[in-house]
Amino acid sequence: MSYSHQVEPTPRFATTDQIQVVKRQSEGHCRTPSYIRGKIGIVERYCGNFKNPEQLAVAHPTPVIIPLYRCRFLQTEIWPNYLGAETDTLEIEIYEHWVDPV
Amino acid sequence: MEQDLKMGPHDVGGEFSDPIDTLDSGMTHWEKFSNGIRGAVSARKVITLDELRLSAESFGDEYFKMPYFERNGLALVHRCLERELFTEEELQLARTKAEKEFEVPLIDLPNPKSITHLHDGEEHHHHDNDFQEDEAGEGPPSYYFDMLAVAKLLVDRELITMQNVLQKIEQFDNVFPARGIAVVAKAWTDPKFRKFLIRDAKNAIIDMGLKLESFAEIICMPQSEQTHHMVVCTLCSCYPRSLLGMPPSWYKSRSYRSRVVHEPRKVLAEFGTIIPDDVEVRVHDSNADMRYLILPQRPKGTEDWTEAKLANIISRDHLVGVRVPEDVI
Repeated sequence: MSYSHQVEPTPRFATTDQIQVVKRQSEGHCRTPSYIRGKIGIVERYCGNFKNPEQLAVAHPTPVIIPLYRCRFLQTEIWPNYLGAETDTLEIEIYEHWVDPV
Repeated sequence: MEQDLKMGPHDVGGEFSDPIDTLDSGMTHWEKFSNGIRGAVSARKVITLDELRLSAESFGDEYFKMPYFERNGLALVHRCLERELFTEEELQLARTKAEKEFEVPLIDLPNPKSITHLHDGEEHHHHDNDFQEDEAGEGPPSYYFDMLAVAKLLVDRELITMQNVLQKIEQFDNVFPARGIAVVAKAWTDPKFRKFLIRDAKNAIIDMGLKLESFAEIICMPQSEQTHHMVVCTLCSCYPRSLLGMPPSWYKSRSYRSRVVHEPRKVLAEFGTIIPDDVEVRVHDSNADMRYLILPQRPKGTEDWTEAKLANIISRDHLVGVRVPEDVI
């Protein structure tokens, strides 16, 4: 659910910032696929603030609102044996509690 | 691949899998009904989409054994029970009633040998086995009765109306699929609109006069000589439904969800789309709150075409990025 109009919390990251997706296990419902955890990329854009889906999944009465980013990765960073072109990329949305600075 | 971080059966991005069946098998009436209830329940905010996702993810090994609509239909049933919107007993009762109402009395068919009519001017006699297939026509799957029961129980509790469900079915069939195509045809003929669409897709589409039911934000990615975009949802089946309708069967398949992220060019080749190595392939894993509309390049040879004529050559597959419209010269 979009809370883009809500300015709080202020996003920690901006476009072109280098980031690493947090590499840890998750409990219950989570929108960060395992293949992207631990990978290093850049922020493509800040998308606005959204309710935490991990809490929405259990009908939490007051889910926290967190910044969401689109992040870009080189395919060769994600898959060591990637067979396509070296310039090929992947973009995916990552909520701020899954993003670490590099 | 870090197996230990896998969240569950649904977390398939990066797996190796079978070739993709690129034909869309469409939807049966049961599937449309099941999908319509889910749409109504989400729209009326009875249950969130994330609750329904978690419910499906909890099926474990059964997850990929069930067809898509059965899995999602039963996920709704389970979540309603967990949320105590009705009891197991009430569900069983409503289900039995739905099954009874569905029973059609058998009627005696005429003796086929007695039917004589003309085919291409020639007299034609039927044989006993001519009617066997029709008589053995398949009935609805078991989960359809659960869905009928859920609909009845939620309507009784005034959480949804049957009109909500029927409206969703109607929109998915007849309204949503045409929208994305209209947006692209306009972007091809109106440079100002194209700029607006790429900068702020949701507002550009609303500005066109389209009312978007979905909560999601929309991002438009223009295909270019430098970059080829394509969309997948590795965790479930996120898709710009209010612009394109229901995702085709291949989009929801395990093969597509597993493979696009790590071998996009091989997947594209299975759709007959070859992207040269000097063009970057950019995969969008649509996993959260954004939905993606790919804007294809306008084919050569269509320079004097009207918006309406252009709409005829735009297909859903172009707007997901698995195919590109062909030049018409």
